[in-house]
Amino acid sequence: MLALLFILFAGLAIGCALAVVAQRNPLYSAISLIGVFISLACLYVMLAAPFIAAVQVIVYAGAIMVLVVFVIMLLNVEQVEHGRTRLKFLVPTAVVLAAILIAEVAFILVSVQEFRVTATTNATDIGLTHSIGSQLFTRYLLPFEITSILLLMAIVGAMTLARRGGLLSQMARVIPGAQQFPLSMIDPKAASDDLTLVETDSTEEAARLLGVDHRDRDDS
Amino acid sequence: MDTAIDIALKFAAITVAFVVVLLIVAYTVLAERRVLGFIQGRLGPNRVGYGGVLQPFADLLKFILKEDIVPDKSTRFIYFLAPVIATMAALMTMIVYPFGPEIRIPFTSITIPLVIAHFDVGLLYVLGITSVGVYGIALAGWSSNNKYSLMGGLRSSAQMISYELALGLSLIGVILLAGTLDLAQIVERQSAWHGARWFILFNPLGFIVYLTAAIAETNRVPFDLPEAETELVAGFHTEYSAMKFALFFLAEYINMFTVSMLATTLFLGGWNVPFVDLFLERGSFLFGLVSAIGFLVKVVFFLFIYIWLRGTLPRFRFDQLMDFGWKTLLPLALLSIFITATLIFLFPNYW
Repeated sequence: MLALLFILFAGLAIGCALAVVAQRNPLYSAISLIGVFISLACLYVMLAAPFIAAVQVIVYAGAIMVLVVFVIMLLNVEQVEHGRTRLKFLVPTAVVLAAILIAEVAFILVSVQEFRVTATTNATDIGLTHSIGSQLFTRYLLPFEITSILLLMAIVGAMTLARRGGLLSQMARVIPGAQQFPLSMIDPKAASDDLTLVETDSTEEAARLLGVDHRDRDDS
Repeated sequence: MDTAIDIALKFAAITVAFVVVLLIVAYTVLAERRVLGFIQGRLGPNRVGYGGVLQPFADLLKFILKEDIVPDKSTRFIYFLAPVIATMAALMTMIVYPFGPEIRIPFTSITIPLVIAHFDVGLLYVLGITSVGVYGIALAGWSSNNKYSLMGGLRSSAQMISYELALGLSLIGVILLAGTLDLAQIVERQSAWHGARWFILFNPLGFIVYLTAAIAETNRVPFDLPEAETELVAGFHTEYSAMKFALFFLAEYINMFTVSMLATTLFLGGWNVPFVDLFLERGSFLFGLVSAIGFLVKVVFFLFIYIWLRGTLPRFRFDQLMDFGWKTLLPLALLSIFITATLIFLFPNYW
């Protein structure tokens, strides 16, 4: 029974993984990747690690892949025919990398034969929420905290990259004659104590100075 | 042989649960239309059967018989897959909720727990499956090859990602109080004080945040931006018709039911009916029956709140929605964790 389930989920995982690289449509690849994650979660459940299974679904299938699908939908990627020139370099590299990977797997398989550990069937609490929590907040506290700081850095970096550019947001409207902007708002390099006001006469002029699209976004 | 019987029993229990849930959902739709009617000073559907009791079946028949239209340039496979994902993800969480205590069958010594699947990480399972449900809507929006659908799908993804954070954080307080992720044990912990030690008493802020975020997660008024008909026709399901539309409709109402069950389980004591154990013996059949009815009454109360809100509140604007989620709800959820953790720290022996 267990063997049957294992074959089912492992087969699903491998099949979906193959589909990820074989599909032309990026959205199909993303969906296949979700399939891989869910099959892996099922395998974790079979290994009596329900917490890791649930986290796998929540974090990978639920959060990360939603973002990936979101981005693919937002960009609406067309099916691009890749030029042969790019593949020329990639194919030998891929072959070498695949050979290394296969060698590693073979090494592990050989080592498994040498250092065989007899499977224990007695129930342990490894993989349950309680043991993971107590270990994570005592013995592995430092790596745990470092990981969270790493994630925080990533968030701050993403914010910095996203906010780079004009001082005004993309949604800002420029109304000629109605507002007078200090020069520092238009040119960040000119920011100083003396605020020079720049008067604009037309929408086009103000938009050119601010570097934004002056047309109403609704009709574009 | 025993495992075969076990599996057969589980299948039977799941089937019964699904049928009951679908019936309740069907009548939630009817209740919504009737209650909205009364709120708006009209009658609502009352022609099919006595007082409209057969209306859900008439609607179902209509959905089945309508023409099933597939847009010409849709991505066919995903177009068919999306409603299936939405409905399946909505139904799958149904099996972990304990809807009653352990009961003893009369005249025998067999005790059965009134829960289908006992799961060590039941709460995480619910959150995980719920987070997968967003694909149904997002993929439906994308595969329809329609600008309105795409906008609806994108809005919905953004909204669900934003409010999932507040939803998850608002549950941390309850997890701290209960010290477990097992839904059955969370309910057991609320059984003290003759079944009146509900977690809402210690974590009211978390409850409010959860309720708000849950309404947003299920795309209901006032957070029903993905299907704002004045802006997006019908949002992500603009191109869906007949039974495929019915599946989305069903998924929305099942989701309402699920988050109501979760709110009941975590904050309102689950199946605990206060002071009923003074009159009835714990573990007896009658006690189980009263508890199960109590559970259902609490869930129906939440469903009524949903309908009531729909008849009362206008819709948010999208930027208001995002501001509210990130700048109000998320800090409030963090505050509720802080307050609960402080409570537990100050009175460590009490919980």
